[in-house]
Amino acid sequence: MASLARSWTANAARCSRRTRFATSVLAQVRHNSFAKIEERPLETPDDWTEFQLKRAEYQTLIDTFSEYGSTQNRDNTFQPHHSLHRPVAPSDITLSALIASGAHFGHSETRMNPNFIPYAYGVRAGITIIDLDHTLPLLRRAAQVVRGVAARGGSIVFVGTRSDLRPAVRLAAERLGKQGYHVGERWLPGTLTNRVHMFGPDVAKDEQVVPDLVIFLNPIPNIHAIRECALEHVPTIGIVDSNVDPRVVMYPIPANDESTRTAELIAGLLSVAGREGVALYEEEQAKAALVAAKKGPRHREPHSA
Amino acid sequence: MNIARHVAKSAFRFRTYATTAYVPPASLATLQRARVPPPKPKPESPTFYTGRATYYDQLLALESAAKHTRSALQELELLPLPRFAQENLPPLYGVWKNKLDLGELMSAKLTTSRYRRFIAQLNQLNEYRRLAEVAGHVELAERIQRVLGMFERDNKDAILARGKRKPVKFDEYGRSYTIGRRKESTARCWVIAAQPAEGESASSATPSEATEEVTTEVTASQTPDVPESSSPPAIAASIEGFESPAPSVKVSTTNILINNIPLSEYFPHVSDRERVVRPFRIAGLLGAYNVFAIVRGGGSTGQSGAVTLAIAKALAAHAPDVEPLLRKAKLLKRDPRMVERKKTGRAKARKAYTWVKR
Repeated sequence: MASLARSWTANAARCSRRTRFATSVLAQVRHNSFAKIEERPLETPDDWTEFQLKRAEYQTLIDTFSEYGSTQNRDNTFQPHHSLHRPVAPSDITLSALIASGAHFGHSETRMNPNFIPYAYGVRAGITIIDLDHTLPLLRRAAQVVRGVAARGGSIVFVGTRSDLRPAVRLAAERLGKQGYHVGERWLPGTLTNRVHMFGPDVAKDEQVVPDLVIFLNPIPNIHAIRECALEHVPTIGIVDSNVDPRVVMYPIPANDESTRTAELIAGLLSVAGREGVALYEEEQAKAALVAAKKGPRHREPHSA
Repeated sequence: MNIARHVAKSAFRFRTYATTAYVPPASLATLQRARVPPPKPKPESPTFYTGRATYYDQLLALESAAKHTRSALQELELLPLPRFAQENLPPLYGVWKNKLDLGELMSAKLTTSRYRRFIAQLNQLNEYRRLAEVAGHVELAERIQRVLGMFERDNKDAILARGKRKPVKFDEYGRSYTIGRRKESTARCWVIAAQPAEGESASSATPSEATEEVTTEVTASQTPDVPESSSPPAIAASIEGFESPAPSVKVSTTNILINNIPLSEYFPHVSDRERVVRPFRIAGLLGAYNVFAIVRGGGSTGQSGAVTLAIAKALAAHAPDVEPLLRKAKLLKRDPRMVERKKTGRAKARKAYTWVKR
């Protein structure tokens, strides 16, 4: 029995031993030592250079042999950061993408808000399942709103006050350029209603402080912000979960508010729509500037209604 | 939790009947409308609605700088750094502006949590800068330093130099000047390496051998009646059949002068002389240096202790290899013990008057 075990381990060891490398590869690599990087402390800059070169060698080796391996690589497979850096366009959003991000998970059955029932598919294992057949058109409607507001030069604020939502709102605002803003930390009460005190009388008078659209990725902790928007007549879009009354925001998107991937997907989608709107606005501005330049400085535009 | 109630309440604050006059649709076209004011400019910063735009802009800029540096270091194969490489990194000192100064920089009062978050980002960037510097990527380290320099204190160098001993300077003859103190005494000491005598090898340290002058100074007062002829080679020669194991080596003589008086005369007690010579013994450099010291204040113990400290500091300057030995022997530490003051109600510092029951 013991000899059998020993032979098995020997065979296993023989299988995992490194295969002989092609001589051409050896010729390419400068140092012929494929021994493990010696674990001695690095003292001089030359030691560090040696260390870096050795690591670069390993990387070259991996890159060379990656060509002979699987066709799947880091670039053409799913990576967790893709939902942040590769947003889906509103026309490309699918039900399966929503399910994959976990948008259909609501909160527990006992916490369901009765006004949410039209958007709930049902209950399973004590958890409300959100009907994505309602979510998808509402999401596309919200995207239309964002595109429309951006196309008319409106300012759009993305609000996501959890630590995992911070990069999503920041990148979404970046996509909108000068018309995009983000709030990744706590919304200070009185930002809109007490703007004279908060930003100073000069800023409150000279600049347009009240935004044209606010998008909430987590509305429950930001209920005061939603109230301020309602008081200042600012249209709102928000991801509403099953424990929230969908009527708090103007354009609710029934989806899971706890999932980071869902929030990143929705924020990305809305920001892509916003980017299209910004492009439309800039095109229009350029045309208007061209027309004004042609007509000359003496021509005066009649006051538009 | 009743959000609907909140919304309904706010709705009821506004009147439900018309507040403006009725205008028939046909006259709408001729109606004089109020002049539409020109659109106001929008806020500049994307973090305007956080209420602390300057702070968050700076923080996000730091975070993106850290991200770019991280990817650059990954490209250079420096990150992730294995443990054996982390060992020899020099220590990290971040002397950042305090909360008030940083708040002034951002024209807004900083809370402690925001300040800490900012400093955490600065420390992260500082670590990357250290790594780039140690690996020899000077340009990258400089670029990071330019970012960090904005948030460092103005007197950073002064703060980092605190606690570091000023280096002992040597004059054109190779003399070191050091000061030692003990109790109320101060000793100023000049130490110079002894010249090798003509025709002999240089007086480098021979740990086991003692110089004639120094040993005779120390032992002369110990045993005054021992005749000159009883030096080890003479004794060895007088005993028949005794073979000295090695030929005697001539070592150059050195002097220790205190207030222009030789050591043996200035300190009559053995303990004081031993104390003064102890640094040489521990370093094994007994015949290697000449010493000239001026001592003022205190008594014999204080003065000998002061000279000892001054000599130890000088030796550490002349022969840096010897410093760990002297440090281990606690010769480089200024003895902080001073005479304790007398207190009221007591005969001396601690001595109490005789206790009386009634």
